[in-house]
Amino acid sequence: MARMSMPLFWRVSLINGAVFLVGTLVLALSPATVSARPLLSELVVLLCGLTAIVLVNGALLRTVLRPLDRLTAVTEKIDLRHPGLRLDEEGSGPARPLVRGFNAMLERLEVERSTSTTRALQAQEAERQRIAQELHDEVGQSLTAVLLGLRHAMDAAPEAVRSQLDELRGTTRTSLEEVRRISQRLRPGDLTDLGLVSALAGLARATSARNGPRVRRSLPSAVPGLSSETELVIYRVAQEALTNVMRHAGAATVDLGLSVSDGGLLLRVVDDGVGIPRGAMGAGIQGMLERARMIGGELDVRPRQDGGPGAGTEVLLRLPLPAPGQGEASP
Amino acid sequence: MTVRVLLADDHTLVRGGVRRILDAEDDLRVVAEAADGAEAVELCCSARPDLAVLDVSMPRMTGLQAAREISRRVPEVRTLMLSMHDNEQYFFAALKAGASGYVLKSAADDDLVEACRAAMRGEPFLYAGVTSTLVGDFLERMRRGDDVPRPLLTPREEEVIKLIAEGRTSRQIAAELVISHKTVERHRANILTKLGMRDRTEMTRYAIRSGLVEP
Repeated sequence: MARMSMPLFWRVSLINGAVFLVGTLVLALSPATVSARPLLSELVVLLCGLTAIVLVNGALLRTVLRPLDRLTAVTEKIDLRHPGLRLDEEGSGPARPLVRGFNAMLERLEVERSTSTTRALQAQEAERQRIAQELHDEVGQSLTAVLLGLRHAMDAAPEAVRSQLDELRGTTRTSLEEVRRISQRLRPGDLTDLGLVSALAGLARATSARNGPRVRRSLPSAVPGLSSETELVIYRVAQEALTNVMRHAGAATVDLGLSVSDGGLLLRVVDDGVGIPRGAMGAGIQGMLERARMIGGELDVRPRQDGGPGAGTEVLLRLPLPAPGQGEASP
Repeated sequence: MTVRVLLADDHTLVRGGVRRILDAEDDLRVVAEAADGAEAVELCCSARPDLAVLDVSMPRMTGLQAAREISRRVPEVRTLMLSMHDNEQYFFAALKAGASGYVLKSAADDDLVEACRAAMRGEPFLYAGVTSTLVGDFLERMRRGDDVPRPLLTPREEEVIKLIAEGRTSRQIAAELVISHKTVERHRANILTKLGMRDRTEMTRYAIRSGLVEP
């Protein structure tokens, strides 16, 4: 920035100097004179000259400083959540180096933001996995052992103690189910064990089972080799979308669809609920956007488009896929 | 005749608990224990138990992989999955891997012994959650008028099927209808037969056809 302020300073000084020089030359070389007590006619000429100087100076400075105003306007609009906004370098005239520097800075900020978001999301998932694993492996297994032990003890216990043991067994069972539920919510075990399609089917079933809307599925039998990171993002987007439907939409039916075509992969969650206000951007949608960006996907949350019943909301996740056999095709 | 059981779970405490429950029964005896899937497969080949009880998630080789390997290498050994996951996707994955049944750990104290006996009779063991999923799905399809065989259920069986679909356990149903636990079990078995879901292959086929699981 410091490097660029000098040429701009000199430019402004030169423009001012040139205008003053012209004014001085006009005054010196023209036959016009000013009396010790200026006459009205002389004052009018002076005033005209001054106005001309100010106007010429203003017009010249404007070409230099206008790009700066545009720059200020853009800086106010900058939102790193919607990257891609840039200033036009051509036609920025003398402020071009500044605009170029500004664009480069935006580029760096966006890259930095996207890598730190990726890092934060990855750290969050890793931490969730660790907690889920410990809940499942440590607490869950100990509770299972307690449950089995209580059962065994019940068979040998006198009648008086037996009902108490039975009650304890009920409590242990409830805790065990709770631990399993939390662990599944933190980290979908079925995603790792059974794959994306089964995990999405399970998610749909679980949503319907929890007094949610009816979830109609349209899933392929398998999806081509996605990385586990990509599978997790797709799962989380579907999970968040279904949670939103349950919390806000008041929908009767949701369609959960996953399809693979030449254009890539498309996850679609559409409900027939109350719809979404324009420009709604809760933490949930923000999270989905960031996850989608992390794997190079594109997320769209919008009012339902297919003219189905009700207002409804549509969540779309598009993901470009490398064409199958691309590697072999190149000679 | 005593059924010789192999027990595989990576958690010593759970293994101990299961062992005590099974050994307390006259007709069941634990003859070997394994701490992971690969060891379970080896022991099945060498010790030739009648039944292998496998934890779904184990290190080295998961229970599902082990079940697949066992049914390929020693098909006479029946397998039973023990799992934390109350999720029909796991249940059907277990059936596809060749397991005879699926027992939830949170219900193992009640169900495990019964499941072992069912497996030895060659019947699939269904835990309460998956039965209500299957039955609920069936009723839903019937309501929508899908092409499903219309079962001829007795009025009593219709009462039972409704309660099953609502997710009640056999014990709760018995209390509600003031009949014995055994009678409820018999109704349950009859209903599944009438729905054409008595046998493990039938059940998997039904689940795939109706979209409960993806092929």
